Amino acid sequence: MDFLVLLIATGLVAGATYGLIAIGFALIYKATGVVNFAQGELVMLTAYIGYSLAGAFGLTFIPLLLVAVPISMAVGLVLERIFIRPMLGEPPFAIVMVTVGLAVILRGLIIVVWGSQPANFDAGIPTTVIRLGNVPFYPAQLIMIAALGLVVLAMWAFMRFSRYGIAMRAVAANETAALLTGVSVSRIHALAWVLSSGIAAIAGMLFAANFKLAPDLWFQGLKSFPAVILGGMDSIVGAAVGGIAIGLIESLSQGYIGEGMREIAGFIVIILVLMVRPYGLFGSRDIERV
Amino acid sequence: MRTGHLKTSPGQLVALSDSPAVWAWVGALAVGLILLPYLVGNYMLTLVVSAMAAVIGAVALNMLTGQTGLISLGQSGFLAVGAYANAILLSDYGLPVWLTLPAAGLTATGISLIVGVPSLRLKGLYLAITTLAFSFIISHIILYSEGLTHGPNGIFVKGARLFGYDVQRGWPLYYLALALTAGTILAALNLTRTRIGRAWIAIRDHDIAARAMGIDLVRYKLLAFAVSSFFVGIAGALMSLQLRFVNVDVFGLILSIEALAMIILGGMGSVAGAVLGAIFLSFLPEVLRIGFSLVTDPNSTFYTNYVYEIRGIAYGLVIVVFLRFKPDGLVGMWRDAKKYWSNWPLAY
Amino acid sequence: MKTIASAVLGMLVAGPALAADPGVTDTTIKIGDVNIMTGPAAFVGRGFSVGSKVAAEEVNAAGGVNGRKIVVITEDDGYVPARSFQALTKLLEVDQIFALNGTSGTANVLAMMPLITEHKLPTVVSQAPAPVVYTPVRPTVFTFGATYENAFYAQLKYIHEKMAKPDAVYGLVRQDDDFGKDIEAGFDRAVKDFNLKAPVRIRFKKGTTNFSAEVAQMKQAGVTVLANGGIFAGAANILSEARKLDMPLIPAEVWSEGIPASAALLAPAGYDYLVGDYVSLNGPANEKFRELAKKYVSEDELKNISRYTYASYIGMKALIEAMRQCGKDLTRACTVEKLRGLKGLDTGGLSAPVDFTNDKQLSGTAVGVYQYDIKSATFKPLTGFVQY
Repeated sequence: MDFLVLLIATGLVAGATYGLIAIGFALIYKATGVVNFAQGELVMLTAYIGYSLAGAFGLTFIPLLLVAVPISMAVGLVLERIFIRPMLGEPPFAIVMVTVGLAVILRGLIIVVWGSQPANFDAGIPTTVIRLGNVPFYPAQLIMIAALGLVVLAMWAFMRFSRYGIAMRAVAANETAALLTGVSVSRIHALAWVLSSGIAAIAGMLFAANFKLAPDLWFQGLKSFPAVILGGMDSIVGAAVGGIAIGLIESLSQGYIGEGMREIAGFIVIILVLMVRPYGLFGSRDIERV
Repeated sequence: MRTGHLKTSPGQLVALSDSPAVWAWVGALAVGLILLPYLVGNYMLTLVVSAMAAVIGAVALNMLTGQTGLISLGQSGFLAVGAYANAILLSDYGLPVWLTLPAAGLTATGISLIVGVPSLRLKGLYLAITTLAFSFIISHIILYSEGLTHGPNGIFVKGARLFGYDVQRGWPLYYLALALTAGTILAALNLTRTRIGRAWIAIRDHDIAARAMGIDLVRYKLLAFAVSSFFVGIAGALMSLQLRFVNVDVFGLILSIEALAMIILGGMGSVAGAVLGAIFLSFLPEVLRIGFSLVTDPNSTFYTNYVYEIRGIAYGLVIVVFLRFKPDGLVGMWRDAKKYWSNWPLAY
Repeated sequence: MKTIASAVLGMLVAGPALAADPGVTDTTIKIGDVNIMTGPAAFVGRGFSVGSKVAAEEVNAAGGVNGRKIVVITEDDGYVPARSFQALTKLLEVDQIFALNGTSGTANVLAMMPLITEHKLPTVVSQAPAPVVYTPVRPTVFTFGATYENAFYAQLKYIHEKMAKPDAVYGLVRQDDDFGKDIEAGFDRAVKDFNLKAPVRIRFKKGTTNFSAEVAQMKQAGVTVLANGGIFAGAANILSEARKLDMPLIPAEVWSEGIPASAALLAPAGYDYLVGDYVSLNGPANEKFRELAKKYVSEDELKNISRYTYASYIGMKALIEAMRQCGKDLTRACTVEKLRGLKGLDTGGLSAPVDFTNDKQLSGTAVGVYQYDIKSATFKPLTGFVQY
């Protein structure tokens, strides 16, 4: 019984990570119709930026967030300006490929700047073990789960009440129509990148605090794909739920089946789910007319 | 330069090319390729053979992604299947290479049908991620089926002989690769001109409309998976012949992404584009290597510390810059150049 | 015109005059090095490359090998086997190397093996001394280093005899590839020899970062001695999970955890872990090496020095000694023959003496066991180099 509870607890933590990264994917996909293959690299880059900031100023977690998230957002804006904005109006495929190129560039750049040695990065979070009932957690793990909840809530409120959020939904629903009603589509695209980078920074720093900081962190982007797909690519709540589900499935399948199953369990699940619902659990179905 | 495009019969429309100039150039290219082993060194030949394997893979992926519109990130999985089938049949069962090559293709086809059936309902990036999932699962299965694949130890590929020549090195390998590449390109060009090719293009452009016109979606989508994977399997087999060693580490995800980059950089949907894109990306690292060794001293600390990584960055940068200025790819560039010549001195 | 003609003639005559084998001229010998210079594992490859360089500069400063200076040419393979193959082709065909020291990872050296055999290239493998490299024995390939099997057997033996309680429970986590299989072989041998209680063996996929489920399984089985097959951040994450679950643990680690960067990663978990290694991790020999390296490599490269550096340094020393014994008429065949007869080559305490005079052409299999002391941040030798 304890074993099961433990697996569920660790599954939730892993799932929260996937969820946070997946929300970054979903935001950009929703607003721009492009899967950002550099999302994992964005998570890694912002984590390294946080690492440098924490090292330089010796910040604890909350001040670090307050500094690192805005800087990461600015980085997101710059990347969007340089790499994505000039591609506006090109076929989505070409833009997706640009993000692949961007991923290659960021991976190299990070190693040139920070080196390839893995590093400890506690993100200013203490590492004393906290017990909730019988289950032990690291504080960074609890913060991860809390962060997922807060980000989902904030994004929901943003999409529901903010002028820009509504504009973003309009662009997602129909780009041309949104343009006609006076929404600046290019600004919305930039906004999606900015928000996505901010979320990437939270995900990246918390991931590094839990699992060390190394230049293979980008791989978590790929590992979050099942979560994005499971939730439906354009749904933020879906991404969060998908993340938690994949985290739990992975943890339980490793615990009870083993044999390296965790690393592919998520992928098996999405194949099965997509056979039933080809647009994910929460994704919107495209209505096509001929 | 010729500008007219008047056709008077359907036969002319589907001819591979009606221009004697094009045929002449193709002939010249063929002669050049046949003479290549006498002109360049062994290293260049190795690079060319690797590029040819990439060309076969890209042309095959283009059938699925460029022509039928089914985006696949599962290329590395099918390459692995082809390579392993070839390696197992050749090394463990001692079959002759003229049998193992088609067998490798057919094995990949068989696996592709397993992938294809559940993927039929999926579109766009959902499909891409599903194929990605399959390539992860394939590599997991290869790693864990030790009885068949030798698991993590990998297999040394040996004993491939054709007409008494060892086709795993030097010029015999080159000519085998050349024949396979030429065959694949011809097959791809011809398929485009048939009912099948036109059905694929119709599906890509609008699958509901295609169905309304009486195209059997299930059949043609599966056919696209099957035919494309056959050639990808052959490309994998060719890789295994050249490398003489296969292991799951050889077939990383990077191969899938590079294959997609090749057809996009070349120009989606066009066979010539896939060929050009594959050649371009295959030689880009070599060009960058030579370029950097000209401007920096390979023995300097700067070189050992940074240049290797900067070369990788430059690779990404070339892709980005290229797409920024030529989103239609190399084929688009060629079209523009041709148009410029035919219309000169008038701009349009 | 005349001058050009004579220059061309001169080149034709002087070029291949003396050396029968590629890579050797009157003044230089080219040695190839295929290594991981890019990507997340670059710090391993760079550490490795430095070793070859230091050995080469050291002998060059002393006048070279029979008057010939050694030139090391490094090619990057980014840890991708297909690129290792291309890199070695380039080194062989374009740079015309004479011998090879530096062979990247296991899959990479296997991908290069057909080329090595075909060109009868004298090769010292000190980077991935796995059994698949020397079974079957390739005539020109010499392996320096112990297997992971020996390294783990040595540690478990020490733990069983000196550290663990009689009711200790042994557990294994290992990667699901050839590297992991080697570790399991050592674990199995120890379990059999000492009749250990070992209820759990867990496999994981390369690149895993989150080990919570694996460690939970360990906890449930009551494991107190852990053979940890994770590397770098992976190894650290396993111990960090164990700390969270409050497990009293003696961890035995892979030698990749014997480098300072890994030690820093593992330290926060608070376990004084063990490492088995065939090169010395701490001692006068290491100090001496550092002094030597300072003379020849840059400040940046000094930071990359690790156990990998010692391994490639020793590999290069062996190669140099064999070439020296060949005298002026240096050929690949002669170098291979001398390597085969190499015995008792002193490495200044960095490892047991090099001795390739056996069927497997294998040396350096003696393993020393070290324990990391978190307080002083140093590795303490527990045993000398012993054959297991």
